Amino acid sequence: AAGLCPCRVLFACRGGALRALCGSVRGLAAAPEMHFGFQTVTEAERREKIYKVFESVAKKYDVMNDSMTLGIHRVWKDILVHKMNPSPGTLLLDVAGGTGDIAFRFINYVRSVRERQLQRKLKHHQNLSWQEISESYQEDKSKSLGDSQVVVCDINKEMLKVGKQKAEYLGYSEGLSWVLGNAEELPFDDDKFDVYTIAFGIRNVTRIDLALQEAYRVLKPGGRFLCLEFSHVSNPLLSRLYDLYSFQVIPVLGEVIAGDWKSYQYLVESIRRFPPQEEFKAMIEDAGFFKVDYQNLNSGIVAIHSGFKL
Amino acid sequence: VRCQLSPPQRPLQASAALRRVSDEKKKEPLGSSPQQQFDSHPADHQPEQGPQGPRPSYTGQGGQESEDYESEEQLQHRILTAALEFVPEHGWSAEAIAEGAKTLGLSVAAAGMFHSDGSDLILHFVSQCNTKLSELLEQEQKLVQLGEAEKKPTDQFLRDAVEVRLRMLIPYIEKWPQALSILLLPHNIPSSLNLLTSMIDDIWHYAGDQSTDFNWYTRRAVLTGIYNTTELVMMQDSSPDFEETWRFLENRVADAMNMGNTANQVQSTGEAVVQGLMGAAVTVSN
Repeated sequence: AAGLCPCRVLFACRGGALRALCGSVRGLAAAPEMHFGFQTVTEAERREKIYKVFESVAKKYDVMNDSMTLGIHRVWKDILVHKMNPSPGTLLLDVAGGTGDIAFRFINYVRSVRERQLQRKLKHHQNLSWQEISESYQEDKSKSLGDSQVVVCDINKEMLKVGKQKAEYLGYSEGLSWVLGNAEELPFDDDKFDVYTIAFGIRNVTRIDLALQEAYRVLKPGGRFLCLEFSHVSNPLLSRLYDLYSFQVIPVLGEVIAGDWKSYQYLVESIRRFPPQEEFKAMIEDAGFFKVDYQNLNSGIVAIHSGFKL
Repeated sequence: VRCQLSPPQRPLQASAALRRVSDEKKKEPLGSSPQQQFDSHPADHQPEQGPQGPRPSYTGQGGQESEDYESEEQLQHRILTAALEFVPEHGWSAEAIAEGAKTLGLSVAAAGMFHSDGSDLILHFVSQCNTKLSELLEQEQKLVQLGEAEKKPTDQFLRDAVEVRLRMLIPYIEKWPQALSILLLPHNIPSSLNLLTSMIDDIWHYAGDQSTDFNWYTRRAVLTGIYNTTELVMMQDSSPDFEETWRFLENRVADAMNMGNTANQVQSTGEAVVQGLMGAAVTVSN
């Protein structure tokens, strides 16, 4: 992997130089070599392969997440939403949000914040008539989310389908929309969203720099970029155990539970290929974000990167 | 590994919210700032408005920011200042900061730049008050030096300084207990203690304290005690214009002044007693 690193850096630089022309070049960029796990493929091939991977794992995605991470992925996602600390009225764009985990957590969080706000308001209004109290209850019921909205965007139809089914099953309907879109070319206007999140999705994006630029574009001034992704473990002992687990256990689980060894082999390899924390931080800064920072979870197995459009 | 080609990208990308220093005086809407960048207008060298004296200069990201854009810290200060007006309604919290960011035309997510317990807002407010206090004391000192005002006796000076400083809390007095409790959280204690001690030091400095012995410590410790207790009294004072608080303050300062005399008296009494005992011992032994 070390020998392939300069290749990756060089490509990132080339990407930077071409950014001004990227609109026209992108269509012709099928030739450059990219990584798909530990294989080397062209850009177009990579997109197709990744699409197929998620098409095949979509139905078992959540089950596999739970078994691979022993349920800890739920904690990671909770931490992400807590870090976001959204206030009612926030507009969230969850990219590569597939099965809707982040979106549902966002809705829950905003609902509970809104309830607390309403309770506090009621405490202040001690001397209302019954008429006024009933009016305030009605008004609050219609705004249980306080105008917050979340848009789940994913490139893969199957993942979105699973997500919509889950939403129906769990009873989420208000303030939620599902959009088919590519992170490198988002179908949204400029300066629209308060928060942009991408959880365990950005390493599957073929041109990460384009995705970061799109993130910058669709965020409002003052908006926040949050990325939850597998990252580099620096502790050598933990790193060895993690490698062992990743390469020996996960593909086997993939075969047993989802009947798909190769997809999970790809997953594990793609984690290894993703840039480490500092490098990714630099990429985010290059896209124009300020106050970029990262927080390691589980000593680097997962990291949350955060940046602001200032 | 930072790519060498990336540095030129930063200044070219119009910053969405960080303004040029020159914009601050004109108060133009944020939307127009990207266009300013392509002006051939030379960089304004006007001093920056606001509590911070030094001009904005290079900041973060390997010094790639252009000189006349404000730094992130200055933007943060602006957000916190704007957030102060929402404190009576929302308390010292991330909500107030979010509302403040909204008034500046930023997204509510900008509140994520700060600590979620609202401590950044409180520390910003306290530091602002301390700066105001220093300026007032300095002005007073200048007047005395020019002979336009009389030099106050120490106890009067201390009383006035503490009163002026505590009066700055009056607009936020309802939510101040919340602020105090947040400031006492372990991770906030270093910064809040820092601000407190430098304020007390300032007051003594303008009071004319030039001691170089242990008095330096006792004086500051005493004044810190007076300030803190008066602040607590003010929290639950419901008298018109906080009269009870100022009376309490007067008494404490008087106590402090007497303490010096009392200490001496105790010492001399102690010495006298010891001498008496020695004399008695000598008499008895003879």
